[in-house]
Amino acid sequence: MRNGITRRRFIGTTAAGVALVGTSLPRTSFGAEKTLKIGFLAPLTGEVAGWGLPGLNGLEIWADEINAGGGIQAGGDTYMVELVPYDDEYLADKALRGAKKLVLEDGVGLIMMLGGSDAPAAVDFFTKNKVVSSTLLPSDLTDETLYHMAPCEVHPIYNVTGVEWLAENRPELKTAAICAQDDELGRPSVATYLAAFEAAGIEVVYQEFFAIDTVDFAPVITSMLATKPDILCLDTAYPDFVNFLTEQAFLQGFDGQIISCTFDFYPAVIEKVGTEFVEGFVFQFPDFDDPALNEPHINFPNPNGFFTAYEERYPGTWSAVSWEYAAIAVQWKAAVEKAGSVDPMAVFEAMKAGGRAPHVFGDANWWGTELFGIDNALVGDWPVVQIQNGKAVIVEYKSIIDWWAKHKDLMIKHFEALGEMWYQRKA
Amino acid sequence: MEVIAQTTVNALYASSYTALMAVGLALIFGVMGIINFAHGNLFMVGAYAVWWLYAVNGWPFFLAVAGAIMVVGAIGLLMERMLFRPMRDNPLGGLIMSVGVLFILEVLAVFFGLGLMKHVPPIYPGSVVIFGIPGATIPWQRLVVIGAAVLLLGTLWAFLRQTRLGWALRACAQDREAAALQGIPINKFALLAMGLGAALAGAAGGVMAPIVQVDPYIGHKMIVTAFIVIIVGGIGSLEGAVLAAILYAFFHTWVTTYIGGGIATTLGLVLMLVVLVVRPTGLLGTAERG
Repeated sequence: MRNGITRRRFIGTTAAGVALVGTSLPRTSFGAEKTLKIGFLAPLTGEVAGWGLPGLNGLEIWADEINAGGGIQAGGDTYMVELVPYDDEYLADKALRGAKKLVLEDGVGLIMMLGGSDAPAAVDFFTKNKVVSSTLLPSDLTDETLYHMAPCEVHPIYNVTGVEWLAENRPELKTAAICAQDDELGRPSVATYLAAFEAAGIEVVYQEFFAIDTVDFAPVITSMLATKPDILCLDTAYPDFVNFLTEQAFLQGFDGQIISCTFDFYPAVIEKVGTEFVEGFVFQFPDFDDPALNEPHINFPNPNGFFTAYEERYPGTWSAVSWEYAAIAVQWKAAVEKAGSVDPMAVFEAMKAGGRAPHVFGDANWWGTELFGIDNALVGDWPVVQIQNGKAVIVEYKSIIDWWAKHKDLMIKHFEALGEMWYQRKA
Repeated sequence: MEVIAQTTVNALYASSYTALMAVGLALIFGVMGIINFAHGNLFMVGAYAVWWLYAVNGWPFFLAVAGAIMVVGAIGLLMERMLFRPMRDNPLGGLIMSVGVLFILEVLAVFFGLGLMKHVPPIYPGSVVIFGIPGATIPWQRLVVIGAAVLLLGTLWAFLRQTRLGWALRACAQDREAAALQGIPINKFALLAMGLGAALAGAAGGVMAPIVQVDPYIGHKMIVTAFIVIIVGGIGSLEGAVLAAILYAFFHTWVTTYIGGGIATTLGLVLMLVVLVVRPTGLLGTAERG
């Protein structure tokens, strides 16, 4: 007998270990005791933390400003804001655990989520318990998610605006290659890009999903570049993935156009690939020091000041979501004041009253029955952003609704093909 | 032609880091009989060490990698002395200890505010054209990884084959009780094996820090592949680990490029099952006695 362990036992214990590793760790949550509580249920660690933690950072800046200004007035009372975060690590079981804690133990009035892979069980719990929640991904919505809304980001349908802008401004681009991780963020986004490219007359010569556990993105880019595309579309790949894919495109000699839903932490990428390579990179999320955000139709108080405060307090962590949860909080505060109450249902009804509401990028419509099964997505204009001289710049605001009016059949066709229509997701 | 050349180079790089990880894991298992689930997180600590020393504090890259090797090697020594040694006759206990270390290292990274990915600039930016084929390139940083793997694994091979210490270590790996009867101090060699195995993981994390996600969870991705490789190679066989790392990395890379990344890991597991069916001891493993 050798050293006390057989091969069978090794494989058996390895499997047991894998199961142990697969279990999740409890994480602490924090928060001061205040009167009006907002729950934050999103990934604060892990691969998707780039779309959770920076959002919490921005929300904290908003809450501190509100509290410093004397709180929120409603029904003759003054309420101070307390944030109650819960790190769900982008895992559905942890999200459900967090949802129950936030509702049953903390008594929050609104729960903000990223949405996607972690959402289904938690949202079902919210619906059954009449809890108001928000998502950045209206692809969470169905006809049954009555109190789940997307009042800020309407991922992924705004991606059509980037493709439309590209087709108008660079008509010489004729082919595109798309890749994304295979999950609730990647699939509907691929469907959207497929529809947008088809509408723009751009041929998709490659479309593949890669595994979420991908360590090395070189083979993915090799495979894409083999089709000689004019455009590399990085879809809604996770923030770190977009960076590695971009770096690989540079290292393997790609010299065409790149488009992506996000380009978070892009200064770090520029350090690796240089300003010249990312010049013209098109995506959808502005830095909030952009002068175009000072236009009168923007419904976000002092965006440039918010960006400055963010950079001072959390340097180097600005991402697509840094302003989004704060933007939802701005809308929610306005609805609390409008309702004259902090009752969640009264606030929710005030937000949706009249079918139209102030969205961060201009007034917009509560929309979505055809695509999402319910009119709980606030849809209007969305900015197209481009890297110019190493800096994100808004090049144009474009209407999602106008695109939908012209090409909705394409969108529905590709959503159906990938099983992403609301009735397919329900099944 | 350029796709074939590029894929071959991609696979060579993947072989290198996979072998570095798997050989360390196989060495620890061979000598100590411990299934070290924390091995992936030792890689993670190595990557963080290089981030902190090189990217934050401006140390020369290779000095930072040497620092990572020492830090992770020291963690390995502590693990052996404090956790694994008392569990030497209890493999399941050792496994649970290693899972505990895995979580502790992960939580420490999160606790210190290191949740978001850390960016580590490459020591040599850019890439070089290979085989004179314009569309096929290899980044300099990946050449560093390949060079480090060849150097470290070559040195380990020479140590194991050509020094008395190495012979004794191999004897421990082949039959610990018989080695002890020959007067080989098992405790010392278990310590040596754990230190070397951990140092290899730290080296892999260190040299790869500019290329991979430096975040608290990168170890999970690394450990799964390393386990597949040492099972395919023959559990406890260092040569088998290297051979299987090359085989698996080439297979995974070619499948990713020519079929799709979504199915590559699944087919890798199928490959492992096929090898186990055809050769239950793995490629270079030996049948158990008794």
